Amino acid sequence: MKPAPPVATPPVATPPASSPAVAAAEAGSPWPRAWRPGRAGLRGLSVWAVTWALLSGLDRTLDLGNLALLLVLGAAIAALWLRPWPAVLACAGSVLVFNVAFVPPRGALAVDLHAHALLLATVLGVSVIVSLLMARQRALLAHAQRHALHAEQRRRLGEALRGADDAAALARALQQALQTEGRAEAAIWLPQLEDAPAPGTADAGQRIGTVDEAGWMALRLCVQLRRPMGPGLGWHEELAAWALPLRGATAADGQPECLGAAWVPLPCEPATAASLPVLAGHAQSLCDLAGAALAHGAAQRLAVAARDTAQLQTLRSTLLAAVAHDHRTPLATILGAATSLQDQGERLSPAQRRQLAATIADEAAQLSRLTDNTLQLARLDTAGVRLQLDWQSAEELVGSVLRRVRQRDPGHRVRARVEHGLPLLRCDAVLIVQLLENLVDNALRHAGGDEPVEVLARRIDGRLLLAVRDRGPGVPPAERTRLFQPFARGSQPVPSTDGGRRGAGIGLAVCQAIARVHDGELRYRARGHGGASFECLLPLHAPPAGART
Amino acid sequence: MTLCTLLVEDDRELRRTLREALTVEGYRVLSAASLADALAQHAQALREGGVDIALVDLGLPDGDGSTLLEALQRGRPTPVIVISARQAEHAKVQLLDAGADDYLVKPFSLAELLARMRVALRHRGTRLAAAVTRYAQAGVSIELAARRVRRDGRDVHLTPTEFALLARLVRQAGQVVTHRALLADVWGPEFVEHTHYLRLYMAQLRAKLEAQPADPRLLLTEPGVGYRLAEGETDADASAAAIHMRS
Repeated sequence: MKPAPPVATPPVATPPASSPAVAAAEAGSPWPRAWRPGRAGLRGLSVWAVTWALLSGLDRTLDLGNLALLLVLGAAIAALWLRPWPAVLACAGSVLVFNVAFVPPRGALAVDLHAHALLLATVLGVSVIVSLLMARQRALLAHAQRHALHAEQRRRLGEALRGADDAAALARALQQALQTEGRAEAAIWLPQLEDAPAPGTADAGQRIGTVDEAGWMALRLCVQLRRPMGPGLGWHEELAAWALPLRGATAADGQPECLGAAWVPLPCEPATAASLPVLAGHAQSLCDLAGAALAHGAAQRLAVAARDTAQLQTLRSTLLAAVAHDHRTPLATILGAATSLQDQGERLSPAQRRQLAATIADEAAQLSRLTDNTLQLARLDTAGVRLQLDWQSAEELVGSVLRRVRQRDPGHRVRARVEHGLPLLRCDAVLIVQLLENLVDNALRHAGGDEPVEVLARRIDGRLLLAVRDRGPGVPPAERTRLFQPFARGSQPVPSTDGGRRGAGIGLAVCQAIARVHDGELRYRARGHGGASFECLLPLHAPPAGART
Repeated sequence: MTLCTLLVEDDRELRRTLREALTVEGYRVLSAASLADALAQHAQALREGGVDIALVDLGLPDGDGSTLLEALQRGRPTPVIVISARQAEHAKVQLLDAGADDYLVKPFSLAELLARMRVALRHRGTRLAAAVTRYAQAGVSIELAARRVRRDGRDVHLTPTEFALLARLVRQAGQVVTHRALLADVWGPEFVEHTHYLRLYMAQLRAKLEAQPADPRLLLTEPGVGYRLAEGETDADASAAAIHMRS
């Protein structure tokens, strides 16, 4: 038996096998897929021809029963290629001719023996059953192959959609996916790309591909009513092509939301009325894939926008709180001291005047640091902050911190302990210095008295530990959880000599933000024999080539 | 003869405060509130002996103060100290590499400004005349000509690269030298991105010259900008010499 011919194309969409153009069909013809089924029909007919040749050749050699079997065999083989009804007709015709030509009395339709009648009926029945079974088998195979082909097309479109980064790219991916089955270029309309009015009411949006005026009307209607239309879809059958909505998830009103529409020309191969809905269904599933991707992209953009808005709100309230809480207090002191100098200048002793001037200078410096911290927090809290990363030495970072705090540390309470031979650290030097300076300021304020403050740098488990430790009262357990929130401050009065100075304000929040942008962490640890230790752990990276020269 | 200062600052209050403070310190102050004003004042001053030092704000109503840098180098090179509220380190580096002598971020104290001005004046003309070749501070003495470095009376041995790096800082003692300038002058222009060289050699220098390398008194770090060798003990003499040279 010959192998089954390729059946990539649904045989149901096959033109009649007797098409006169069949003979002209060549492998290189413009529509090979459309013609191949025609060739199959020709093959079925030739099988019949061979069968009849054999029958006439073997007449008289074989008895009637064997000849009838030959007829059944021919019918079965021909059914491999012929469509079901031609196959059945060919069977019936053959049995008729067989009856006239071979069954006694020859040359007449009459059947003289009951046995012959049974034989003819059996031949006819078996032939018809074989034909129908073959047709069914072929339809199943074609269906499976089409199914696989469509699944593959959907997979490819899914991949292309994942790779597309904006709506226009998505639309182009869909357009390309619809380009199969030998059809002309599809057109896609995305009405909601801009903040257009209600979908379908305006020509706003993005058009990919070209579409005539009738198609344009259909696309608008399609988006408005969110349902497909066109030949074989039971609605606006007169259209030249399908207008298919790009549907996303189901909206609140129970209908799927519609993100656009596609104008999809019919497949170029002649399709039967029965196959149109199937092919339209497949095109619709591609459109829905793109619709879901569009909806997903839109949802993501909304989420990002919402997050940005929330972040902006947080930032704004942080800045407002900074101004309200922390900036007004030094300003009040500065204003008080300055107006005192202005109004009472002559009545104050030189020492009092110097004291007031020193207060103004100190408070202004404090306000300046506070402003730096507030601005830094705002900068670090915005998305996409850019760091000036470079290879830095921990010793230098600690050294600059010590120099900066020296003015506020007349008693030389701050000491440094830097482990020897530390590797270089990849970081933003300005930020790390700010982090350490805030922590040292904090320790100087809260440790009280003459307690020493230690700045420590050493390696621990492949990370760099930068710690600022004091022997002050530490942070009460109840306050540790909100220690790093902006504007959290200790409830207990600060037992320092400088008259109960204000809390860290946003200082610790900035420190944590700085540690975070360096992929590090900042944590508080209560020390064994009393005192606070603020510890920043930063990742160490492989040093640059030649760093050990 | 008093030194002439060109003060370019558009904020009226700050301009007045600085002008009075500098006058008290004995400077003659020409103040300008805009680029055009500054250029006119500078041209006028050139006919009367020139400007000794300029303090330039960046954000001016008719343009960026940094455009003045070039004009101020014309005729007789004038040291420029940039005073600005802009804090970005890369902006500082750019200005320093473009020829500014120093950079002060607002707000700053008067003492800081006077110290920077003193250093800038001391280095005035060093790009043409002989550089500072002797340095002494915190028990360390350096004589560039003799290639001798002593700490607490004892000779310190430095490798050639260490010495070259130190010498480069000594020539501009008290002023910040950018990473880029140090790398280009000591290692060569193709090494300007290799800041890790600086970290390592500065660590070695500190180990040899500083009592506490983690709390340096001489070799100071300007995070994100460069290094500064602390002002030497010979300020007064040098400034006097500079003033003498000019008059």
